[in-house]
Amino acid sequence: MRILFFAHLRDVTGCAELELACGETDADGLWRQLLVAHPELARFRGSVRLAKNAEYAPPDARFGDADEVALIPPVSGG
Amino acid sequence: MHLEVRLTSDPIPAAWPVPAAARGAGAWIEFRGVVRGEENGQPIAALEYEAYAPMAEREMRRILDELAREHPCLAARVVHRVGLIPVGEAAIYVGVAGRHRAEALALLAAFMDRLKQDVPIWKRRALAAAALAGQPGTRPGGADFQTATARVFNPPTAVAAPEPRPSKVGGTAGGETCAPARAGMVPPAGSTSDRPASADEVRELVRSLCRPLEPERVPLPRALGRVLREPVRAPEDLPPFDRSAVDGFAVRLDDPAEQFQVVDEIRAGDWKPRSLHPGEAVRLATGGALPDDGLQVLLQEDTRLEGDRVMVLRRERARNIRFRGEDARAGGVLVEAGTVLGAGALGLLASAGCAEALVSRVPRAVHLVTGNEIVPPEQAPAPGQIRDSNSALVRGFLASWGVVPVQRRLPEDAAALATALEDPSLAETDLLLISGGASVGRHDFTRRALETAGFVILVSKTTARPGKPLIVAQRGATLAFGLPGNPLAHFVCLHLYVRAALEAWSGPAARNDFTLGTLAADLPAEAHDRETFWPARWQLAGGEVGLMPLHWRSSGDLTALAAANALLRLPAGAGTLGRGSRVEFLRTDLGP
Repeated sequence: MRILFFAHLRDVTGCAELELACGETDADGLWRQLLVAHPELARFRGSVRLAKNAEYAPPDARFGDADEVALIPPVSGG
Repeated sequence: MHLEVRLTSDPIPAAWPVPAAARGAGAWIEFRGVVRGEENGQPIAALEYEAYAPMAEREMRRILDELAREHPCLAARVVHRVGLIPVGEAAIYVGVAGRHRAEALALLAAFMDRLKQDVPIWKRRALAAAALAGQPGTRPGGADFQTATARVFNPPTAVAAPEPRPSKVGGTAGGETCAPARAGMVPPAGSTSDRPASADEVRELVRSLCRPLEPERVPLPRALGRVLREPVRAPEDLPPFDRSAVDGFAVRLDDPAEQFQVVDEIRAGDWKPRSLHPGEAVRLATGGALPDDGLQVLLQEDTRLEGDRVMVLRRERARNIRFRGEDARAGGVLVEAGTVLGAGALGLLASAGCAEALVSRVPRAVHLVTGNEIVPPEQAPAPGQIRDSNSALVRGFLASWGVVPVQRRLPEDAAALATALEDPSLAETDLLLISGGASVGRHDFTRRALETAGFVILVSKTTARPGKPLIVAQRGATLAFGLPGNPLAHFVCLHLYVRAALEAWSGPAARNDFTLGTLAADLPAEAHDRETFWPARWQLAGGEVGLMPLHWRSSGDLTALAAANALLRLPAGAGTLGRGSRVEFLRTDLGP
């Protein structure tokens, strides 16, 4: 699956996107894999919302390898 | 409702035709959110916005559709600009057409609130006014975007994959991709961490590595001394009604009578509007709400009360009224973003109904004290041992920033330090301080342990004294300092370098810099070929800052520190300075 990073998360991870093969999983499983690739994301977990295919993912969402998942840190538009 | 929603990197036009779908509307309301000339108290030239474009557009449509059920409107047009937006230009345009103004205004207001909560658009960085003027070639998103001064060390840059593929993500340029493996940070290009760095270089490097930490909302008592991250506005006019500034009698301003009938009494907290007729007065306590417009409050001491009649002994022009909105108008900014919240600001926030303030998060800190010779303060040292003073020193220093470090004493043992550095909780630590010895062996021991644990060494020694064997290193979001073990070196390094990190994490308003003062006594010193930081005590005398240098013999000297509230900066080769000399100093008694 493709993971997208925005705003300061790009600085933290040093990249804008990441290809992750983790099979079908839930948010917890996804975070576990993400933190293996980027442990420095751990401190942002509490403030980040997950979006699946350009929509906020509900807490019970399942994620698959074909999905585009974005980490949405607190927004500041307007 | 007809919707027109998009992101653009082009300027938003100054005038725009009303959409056809708005025909029949009784109200067409336009709003432009404009980039202001300052961000967090600093003058800026531009702001850069970034968006997750497909989702941002979708989310804006979803919000508008949802709000239209509650506030039925005919049409809405929303355009959010992304990329670099100069001061004075609009970042967002919203037009709403409604049959009546009420629903159009309500929809607009609700939409802006929701946009700021849910739409994935970010203010990425501010371009300092000075940076734009001094660096015409500066690119948005470039590594040199944030600071104006030339830097010896470049900040770590992103690792690009060998074959970056074009990003499908909308928004700003610079969609770097990275390999699935951990990207991490690369050593700053061009930096040679073995070259000694000057104190200024280290401070500049630290500032460039630390951005303001994400904000959090905390109850007011916990917000003291922290940097406010959003402007707080007056929810209503302050004062919210015309109120008396004195104890006295309210009479009509145009009533020249010398005797009045007292028809009512109003104390603070009462709300008794009434029309006052000629010849009538209302007794008012300080803070009491005026019952009517066009009144004047006569001072109680300028009158004589006889039963329900009041005689005027003296009448001046002053109305003695604090008028509604005199302090602040509803919606006006009471406390700007970027303000360090003192007791007065907290009182103002409370008066405006802001019970929780959005402030920078407090950094998480870990302090490791290594050494075989140190024993806890409560233990009597055996011959050759000393009590651990650095734990108390570091804890006290961090306390003024509201930071409570996790502290551990470790034996001087590579395995023990390696284990401590592998602790998973360190991944969530912003600041890692390691107190070690000052000897070359001890210094190398700390450095090797950090390198083995995956830290990138950015500085391994300085040209300053004390504090020559300083280590600055980084792993992920953790910034580590290896502090030479002597207490005076600790004190200097904490105030010069660790403070720079705490300031940058809090926000620009927290910055404390060197300023000029006058020596209150001779400073006999041998000329030294290195820049020297000297503990001193500053005090105000006759309107001038007088600096009393404190006596110290070695960087292990603690007695000087007990009295120190400043550090003098003596340039390399300065030698003895006489009383009255002007020297630069940094206050060490300041919090944020």
